[in-house]
This record gives sequence, structure tokens and C-alpha cells, in this order.
Amino acid sequence: MKLKKSTKQALRVSGRSASPLIKWVEKWLESAASPKRAETHQVKSLEEMPGPSVCSFAWDLFAKRGLSRLHELQLEGRKRYGPVWKASFGPILTVHVADPALIEQVLRQEGQHPMRSDLSSWKDYRQLRGHGYGLLTSEGEEWQAVRSLLAKHMLRPRAVEAYDGILNGVVSDLLAKLQLRSQQSPRGLVRDIATELYRFGLEGISSVLFESRIGCLDAQVPPETERFIQSINTMFVMTLLTMAMPGWLHRIFTRPWDTFCQCWDYMFQFAKGHIDQRLQEEAKRLARGEEVEGRYLTYYLSQQGLPLKTVYSNVTELLLAGVDTISGTMSWSLYELARHQGVQAALRDEVLGVLRGREVPGAADVAQMPLLKAVVKEVLRLYPVIPGNGRVITDRDIQVGGYLIPKSTLITLCHYATSRDEKMFSNPDEFLPQRWLRRDQGHHPYASVPFGVGKRSCIGRRIAELELYLALAQILIHFEVRPDPDAEAVRPMTRTLLVPQTEINLQFIKR
Amino acid sequence: MSVVSATYRLHSISKRFIRSLSAVSAHNSLKTPSTRHRVEACIRNRQFSCYPRALRSENKVTVSFINRDGEKVTVKGSPGDSLLDVVIDQDLDIDGFGACEGTLACSTCHLIFEEDVYKQLGPITDEEMDMLDLAYGLSDTSRLGCQVCLTKSLEGMTVRVPESVSDMRQSDFGTTSSSS
Repeated sequence: MKLKKSTKQALRVSGRSASPLIKWVEKWLESAASPKRAETHQVKSLEEMPGPSVCSFAWDLFAKRGLSRLHELQLEGRKRYGPVWKASFGPILTVHVADPALIEQVLRQEGQHPMRSDLSSWKDYRQLRGHGYGLLTSEGEEWQAVRSLLAKHMLRPRAVEAYDGILNGVVSDLLAKLQLRSQQSPRGLVRDIATELYRFGLEGISSVLFESRIGCLDAQVPPETERFIQSINTMFVMTLLTMAMPGWLHRIFTRPWDTFCQCWDYMFQFAKGHIDQRLQEEAKRLARGEEVEGRYLTYYLSQQGLPLKTVYSNVTELLLAGVDTISGTMSWSLYELARHQGVQAALRDEVLGVLRGREVPGAADVAQMPLLKAVVKEVLRLYPVIPGNGRVITDRDIQVGGYLIPKSTLITLCHYATSRDEKMFSNPDEFLPQRWLRRDQGHHPYASVPFGVGKRSCIGRRIAELELYLALAQILIHFEVRPDPDAEAVRPMTRTLLVPQTEINLQFIKR
Repeated sequence: MSVVSATYRLHSISKRFIRSLSAVSAHNSLKTPSTRHRVEACIRNRQFSCYPRALRSENKVTVSFINRDGEKVTVKGSPGDSLLDVVIDQDLDIDGFGACEGTLACSTCHLIFEEDVYKQLGPITDEEMDMLDLAYGLSDTSRLGCQVCLTKSLEGMTVRVPESVSDMRQSDFGTTSSSS
């Protein structure tokens, strides 16, 4: 009961239940104040923008499995309404932009402190519990301070190279686990590879955050890591559901919000446990007079005089951001390589050619593997982990595609639609990594930007890329990956992120 | 709209193709002895940063920036510093320059070089190329300022700051393709 009451409060504070009438009056007053500007540009207003009615979109979302087909709704929306349309995602009106040049226009106007969304259930939860905000949820100066600090250690090429040793340790555990799993089946079949790859993702990001290992890939998997992974998955399902549900529906069906909160509670608890343990170890070493020089992200964060709750929230968000993203991209990469034996053979040749007899590639080696990079680019074009991103321009109205979009409108950047656009990529649904080997091909540069662009783009990008390159290179050295002869094609689905709809089963044949 | 984007694509194809050719030749030239000396000099000079200021000032490199309004500003920077470092250290007023603070996540420190200077610059990584593809007003001799380090052999070079998106916005941004 208490939770229900506070939920209501959180929703009210976030403005999601604010009366549409008040909002409309505000917007009308604003536009009345500057009528000339709109006239001189002959731009159209939001009211003139096409889009489905509130009822028909809600019907698509709830009755026609639209929440898990959000990426497909992008394609349908563009076909029906053109590159710009509006739709009400539950109580939130959002403008969809599904053309690379228009996405570029939005991103170039995002300002000094870009904002992804100001109405988010993630922020509501933090407010409700009194937690701090992390890089995914903070804004303005608070966001900038942590971003500047972490970007130095996570994005600069020199800094990223330094992680290859610890990541290779995680990769060798993955190889051992794949070997174990494939030996347990007569045909070397590993069922539902995503399960192992979630663990790989969590172990990888933990190693970078804590410079220590947490045993996700051990033969006996620690139950708390499984629960953490499960919490992430459920939280992502509930994210879309809780955001699409209007306030009154929350009062009738309290379960989605309650489940959402429980998942976050566990994730915060898990992160806090690991941070406290790690910082206590350091404190003990200091007390013994030993020199402490951590090279891990939690250490960098804890040394800046930030409030401890800011460290907790940032580490929680970095942990969760490194799991589904890596797992999904690895799953799809192996799936496509298994189905395209020619590409797999060429890629293996490239890896062996660069390594010349050495077993373990480093950061400098993968820099010389263009096909490997092309494979990952192509996988992220076909299966962008973030199928649609958000932007809110808070300080001014902007023009996009001939429309004046009032400030503080949520703009949905339809990355899935642009990266599957046949005008941008020939045979857009085919896995053709060769298309990335020549730079003179004809797509718009903003057609496939899976990590986003600019100062609010994915902070884990370079570490994730390195982790993917090292893992794929080593898997191909040690295994031949084949599709399950009995399996059908696997399609993507939206769970906030884009993930495989069904299990991916693959044969790993030891070389 | 489609004509605009088709023209853009053709334009962009030719630019990127030429750029990748130049990058290849720049890469090959790295193998020549003179360039190797330059790289070594760069490493040696970096170490000078621990030496007293008087000694360092002798090794300063002069760079001129042509701003968006056509104004030329001449400043000095230390060998080993990136051009982004120079812009920040010298407090040059370039709107929106270096938004991601040299972490190779945006292309706002995009600079245009003279052709002969461009050829002297070190090889360009795939990561920088990918970011440059997203740059506004891309040219055949474009690089990211955060990835180009000063060396003595670049003494006296002039770099141009390309027109920014905000200059466009003041005219008719939003009604034409932003990239044309």
C-alpha cells in the first residue's frame, strides 16, 4: 500500500500525470508569444504532423504485441507517414524521426548537456528510493562531471588498450565454458548461447569496474549473479510497460511497477555489495601501509570526492549497461557467422594471419583486423542494441524536416528504421559485412550509428568493441561455429533493447 | 529531398574515396626515414615537458587557425600537444569545439589542413575515420584536432576551422539537407 502511494507521488513529480490541458495551454501560450518566427520559415506545426491516433497506437502497443515489436513499428510508421510522425506512447507524446539526415539535424542541435528523456521510469525509481543518479539517468552539470571523469578512462584509445589483459582473462574463461558445454552434447551443441554470453558480459564489465573477477563463468555459477542478470532482463521488460501505462492504469495494475522496483532494488544491492567489498580491501591495504593504485573504474570514481551514493548509482548503471548489450551483439555475431561459413572462414584467416602463431590477440592486433570490425559493424546495423534512442531539447524549439518541434518534446530517433533502409543499404536484411570494407559506399553516415554520436553517446563503446573483437577472434581460433541443423531463423524483438526473440543454439566444434 | 540527399551522397562518396587514398599514402610515408625521425622527435620532445620552461619555449611550434569568420589567429603550442589541447590552452573562442573532450566520441574538433601538411600527418585510425565521416563540412584534408599532435616539422602550419552547424542554423537550417 505504501509502495502504491509513493508510486503515485513519483509519477506526479515526474510530470507524467500532468494534465494534458495544462500542457496544451502552456504550449499555446509559448507559440502565441513568437508567432512571427514560425511564419517566416513557413514551417508546419506539431498539430499538422501525421501519426496514428492515441487509441490506435495504444491498441497496437497493448493488444498487438507492439511493445516487443517497437522496432517493426518504426518501419511501419515510416512507410505510412513518411520520415517524421508523432505518436503517443502511453501518456507521452513523441516525435519519431526516421531519416538519417533528419537524425543528424536533431543530434547537431542537442546542446551542451544532451538529454535522452526527461520522463523516465528509471528516474522515477531513483527519486522514490532516494538513490543517486548514474550516467544513464543524470542530467546537466551532474552528468557532465561524471562523464568527463569516466570518458577519460573508458573512451580514450590509450586508456582502452590497457584493458586487453583483463578482458582476455574473461575471454579464456568463456572459451573453457563453451568447451565444457559443447562436450556435454553429442553434436557439440550449446543451447541458448545467450545464457553464457550474459555471464560473459557481466564478468567483463565487472572486471573493468572492480579489477577483480566475480566468477560468472565458473562451472558452478554464483546464484547472486544469476539473479542480477534476471533482474536486468525483467527490468527492461517492465521499463517499456511502466512507461506506456497511463497513471490511472498504474493504480489498477500495480504489479508492473512493483516488479520494476524490486528488480532495481536487487541491482543496486548487488552493486553496493561489490563496491563496499572492494573499497574495504583497499582500506585494509592502506592501513597496512601498502601502496594502493587501482586501475579500475570504481576506484577512479571513489577518488573524486563524489558522494558514495553517486558511486553506487553509477556502478549499478555501468554494470547493467554492459550485460545485455555485449550478450546480444555476441549472440547475433556468432549466429550470423555460423550461417555464413564463407565469412567465418575469411575472418578466421584474417585473425590467424595477424597473429602469426600467437594464441592470444591484444588491442594492437585487432586494430589490424578490418574484416573483424566490419563484421561487428554489420551485426550492429542489422541488430542495433538500441533500436530507438531519445532526445529532448529543453532550451528551445527546433526545426526538423520542415516541422517546428516545441522545446521539451521527446524525439525518438529511429535507428532501426534507418539501418534497415534499402535506400541506404542494398539488401538491407542481408548479413553482408563486406559492405563496410570500402569507405566509398553510398549510405548516409548517420544511417547506422549504433552507439549514438557525440558527448552523450555510449561511454562503454570502446571497451565493448575491444571485448567483442577479442572474444570473436579467440572463439574462431578455437572453434568452428555451426548453426543448429534443426533450428529455424531467429528474429529480433524489443525489450527496451533489441534482443533475440528465441533461443540461439549453435554447435561449437573444437579445432 | 531525394535529389538533395542523392547529390549529398555522390559528393560524400568522392570525398571519402579521396580521403581514404590520401590516408593510404600518409600511412606508407610513415615508413620513410625522415618521418621516423619525426616520430622519435615527437617522443623526445614530449619528455621536454618536464624540463624548465625556458628550454621548452625554444621548442614551441607556431600554428595559425583561420576561424569561421575568416580571422587568422596565430598561437604557439608544445610538441606532443594535440591541436585540441592548443585550442583549450590558448583559450581560442571556437563555438562547440571539442565537445567530447578528446575522447573520440564526436567530430566537433574537425579541422581542415593544407594538402601538403595533411600528407605529413601520421596515419589515421579507423576510429578517427569513422568519427570524421560524421563531421560537418567534411573535406579531403580533414582530421580531428584531438588526434593530431604537434611536431617541429609542422612549424608554421595553418589550419582552417570549418563552418559550423550553428552558422547554417542562422540561415535556413532545417529546410535543406544539413549535410549538403
